[in-house]
Amino acid sequence: MTDYGHDLLFGTFVTPASARPQHAVEQAVVAERAGLDLVTFQDHPYVATFHDTWTLIAYAAARTERIRLTANVTNLPLRLPAVLARTVATADVLSGGRIELGLGAGAFWDGIEAMGGRRLGPGESIEALEEAVTIIRGLWDVEQRGGLTVAGRHYAVHGAERGPAPAHRPGIWIGAYKPRILRTTGRIGDGWLPSVQYLPGGVTDLAGMNGHIDEGAAAAGRDPRDIRRFLNLAGDFGATSRGFLQGPPDQWVEELTDLTLTYGTSGFVLASDDTATTELFAAEVAPAVRSEVARERG
Amino acid sequence: MTDQGPAVRLGIQLDPAGDPAAAVELAVTAERLGYDLVIVPGPAEGGWDPWTLLSWIAGRTDRIRLVAAGTDGATAPALLARAAASLDLLVPGRLVLGVAGDGPGPLPDAGVPVWRSGDEHPDLELAGSTADGWIGHLDGSGTHWLQKRLRLLDQAAVRAGRDPRELQRVITLCGVLTDSPTPAEGCLDGPAERWIADLAPLVVEHGVSTFVLRADDATAADRLERFARDVAPGLHEAAARALAAGVLAARPLRRADVRARRRPGIDYDGLPGSLAATAVEPGDAGFGAVRSTYLRGGNPGLVLRPGTVAEVADAVAFARRHQHLPLGVRSGGHGISGRSTNDGGLVIDVGALDRIEVLDERRRLVRIGPGARWKEVALALQPHGWALTSGDYGGVGVGGLATAGGIGFLGRKQGLTIDHLRAVELVLADGSSVRATDSEHPELFWAVRGAGANFGIATAFEFAVDEVPEVGWAQLAFRVDDPAAFLVEFGRVTTAAPRETTPNLIMGGTGVAQLMAMVASDDPDVVLAQLEPFARLAPLVQQQVVIAPYAAIMNMFPDAPHAGVGEPVSRSGLVRALTPEVATASATLLDSGAVHWFQLRSMGGAIADVVPEATAFAHRDAAFSITAMGANAQRVDRWWNGLRPHLSGSYLSFESDPSPDRVPEAFPPRTLARLRALKAELDPTTLFRDNFSVAAAVPTGSSA
Ligand SMILES: Cc1cc2nc3c(=O)[nH]c(=O)nc-3n(C[C@H](O)[C@H](O)[C@H](O)COP(=O)(O)OP(=O)(O)OC[C@H]3O[C@@H](n4cnc5c(N)ncnc54)[C@H](O)[C@@H]3O)c2cc1C
Repeated sequence: MTDYGHDLLFGTFVTPASARPQHAVEQAVVAERAGLDLVTFQDHPYVATFHDTWTLIAYAAARTERIRLTANVTNLPLRLPAVLARTVATADVLSGGRIELGLGAGAFWDGIEAMGGRRLGPGESIEALEEAVTIIRGLWDVEQRGGLTVAGRHYAVHGAERGPAPAHRPGIWIGAYKPRILRTTGRIGDGWLPSVQYLPGGVTDLAGMNGHIDEGAAAAGRDPRDIRRFLNLAGDFGATSRGFLQGPPDQWVEELTDLTLTYGTSGFVLASDDTATTELFAAEVAPAVRSEVARERG
Repeated sequence: MTDQGPAVRLGIQLDPAGDPAAAVELAVTAERLGYDLVIVPGPAEGGWDPWTLLSWIAGRTDRIRLVAAGTDGATAPALLARAAASLDLLVPGRLVLGVAGDGPGPLPDAGVPVWRSGDEHPDLELAGSTADGWIGHLDGSGTHWLQKRLRLLDQAAVRAGRDPRELQRVITLCGVLTDSPTPAEGCLDGPAERWIADLAPLVVEHGVSTFVLRADDATAADRLERFARDVAPGLHEAAARALAAGVLAARPLRRADVRARRRPGIDYDGLPGSLAATAVEPGDAGFGAVRSTYLRGGNPGLVLRPGTVAEVADAVAFARRHQHLPLGVRSGGHGISGRSTNDGGLVIDVGALDRIEVLDERRRLVRIGPGARWKEVALALQPHGWALTSGDYGGVGVGGLATAGGIGFLGRKQGLTIDHLRAVELVLADGSSVRATDSEHPELFWAVRGAGANFGIATAFEFAVDEVPEVGWAQLAFRVDDPAAFLVEFGRVTTAAPRETTPNLIMGGTGVAQLMAMVASDDPDVVLAQLEPFARLAPLVQQQVVIAPYAAIMNMFPDAPHAGVGEPVSRSGLVRALTPEVATASATLLDSGAVHWFQLRSMGGAIADVVPEATAFAHRDAAFSITAMGANAQRVDRWWNGLRPHLSGSYLSFESDPSPDRVPEAFPPRTLARLRALKAELDPTTLFRDNFSVAAAVPTGSSA
């Protein structure tokens, strides 16, 4: 049972549906106005009714002033790492350092293949992720002299000109569930970004998963606190309690406080496409969790 | 003919290697100066991602067109197609894809225009035969060289069987605007007169529409301003002198395959420039999204999308020249009675007039455009702790509902939506724009509140709204063995309920009834107490009660695209009470299987506080509105006719039958007489007739 001691971040997880094209953008504006720290968008390039997520992020970033934005999580197999590095850096500079990079090794391989991506096995996709992170960070690192060369099995760049440099160091937050990729996250990630509904045993799984991350971090000589632990949440507000995050705001406060103190979760990202829910989360939950956690940490 | 489109348009090409923030600044400045487009070139090595820069500029500007040049190669084609489609949805009609040389076109059919560049013969051949535009460059080789390229382009277009005017021609310039003539050859170094003299032939003889400055140094902002001020007007004048009126503004023509799908009897080429840019016609890529409405399939010949009151007036003038065709007026596209789409006619869609603003915080006065949706209105009012009753579905538009009535979930507490109207602004059939209130044009103000679609196109509404804390919201499902008895009971309980509570009932043929009720109170005890008698109506199979903001209820249903097919069949009736006769006829109707939707909305309460003469919606004594929907009008009517003798009138918004017989059901005799008199005065030629026209022929059935 570990609390990694990070300050807390609160955000939303928005469906980039394009049927009402501006809706997802409005949800970013709503999240910002409500005082949240972060707005994130799913990235499923093979879903025809969704916006292209990084186009949406650049556009939404231009319509906001303060809030941080990322894909949750970027579908790596359909994005060239070198292009992604440039995309993130450009948006980060234009937005004054508000862009982060949620990254996933890939899921829904049928859809990926249908869009012209290559199907990878689980081991391969982790390897590819690691190579991509090396390329992305290498291209961002304009302090290094000379071109970037990475001769990976999945991605290769040969003497690529570095740059542009982002305005801040965008966090690479990895969506991961299985032991091997969790250890990879511990070794190279800045954050871990899983979704609660994909935890087979519910939130109690977080303990074991944190263990794998910590192990990966330790093996690479890193402090486990270098990896921020996020959690994508799904829930409903209601007058009466009907289960985890289904009930009145007070119940949410208690449950989220507990997650921080027990599992070290410090980034809460709520799936919400509607203003009322987002506002309630920002007004009734986020500040109360912050003060509860502060009180308990002493 | 009004000709407001600028003949000579201006553009700016950003520097891919420069500072991105400065590039954005330039784009914003260009838009402010009236420039038409900004070109973002392909990436420089180690440079910015052009697509991201373009998307960001899209977010920081409102109007300027965005040309993504050199997109080929950087990304997987399928992904580029998605990205382009996204941006085209976010900023409709503003994106253009540029392709360099004779590379493959990025998107065969994404609906985004493709402009090609490249000076070689194969490039020009490809551009002339397939592209929507060509980007050429003026460099040291001079305008003669460029004119030769433009001729080759024309020839390629003709060889491909195209009208060369379909191609937009865009030229990037080089040179420095100076005060003294300098002898340089090729580039346009020199004073404004020289620029005008050199560029005018390109416009007049070669149909060039746009000149683009390259923004590659720190003086770019100055140069933009000078060019717009010193060169563009002179160039425009020179070109206009040499050409017939309207020739320039009409360019580029729509492609031949698009024009081939035009419908007869519409003066497409006579569309004023103010409307041409946003109008959609059958061959356009955006047509699929605008042809149909939520419930009705359509195939109009032209959809006009004015963005200002002046443009609405232009659209009305255009419609007056087309009275031989159906005319639909559209706001939110959720019409049932109103034909806001049609076959081969015109549609004036004011969806772009969707602003919501607070005019007076203290008096809770808000101004709302017809294109706003009620869910958006609810969200905008929520931060103030306010709410305005509308209907039960947040996707419905303001324009259609607020001109007809508005029987909503706060109806028994707040009255009809129109009861909160304090002022309305309309464009009338003669194109004039008027404001109607209790004291200005009071007869029109009366008429708009129930029969608004007869008198003009509403462009703004001003409502006084109420303070509404959170509300109680219940969804109860019952097992119903005896629908007639259940309905009588429901009627009794509703009539006895305090006016905070407004229930809606949906009955199926399957023995299940669903009740949705709002209680205008955030006190759980009050909410539960008022719902309690309803919960005892019959055995509950499901129940949910929450206390939530009004806006959350209005936003409960996800958005669905407007892809209606065919014609909805809907019948509307009002009753003063759910008598055993009404209940029995309803149960028979339900049992027939002819209807798939049967809904009761409760009225009374504050709705009945208003005297019938106060608004054109006159059925103030109704206790319930009944709606039935089915697939086949004849079958529905066979059973609905059993209910007719018990009806005290109808609410036009739920009636899809266009027969003149229905008109007196919506408007009792004295109301109808007043409406007809005003109609004769304000719309003598019956331009507005898509929704319960009171000028319609005298009813064929029993007269009112
Ligand atoms: C799912 C659903 C639920 C509904 N629930 C309710 C309800 O609970 N209570 C209720 O009262 N109504 C309800 N309605 C009916 C609704 O109010 C009408 O259909 C209304 O006309 C829709 O408005 P709109 O702007 O979306 O429609 P549109 O299709 O855009 O317009 C419909 C008609 O209204 C007229 N009109 C539109 N805009 C203007 C304008 N700017 N100026 C003048 N006339 C204009 C035109 O005649 C047009 O044909 C519902 C409809 C649907 C489809």
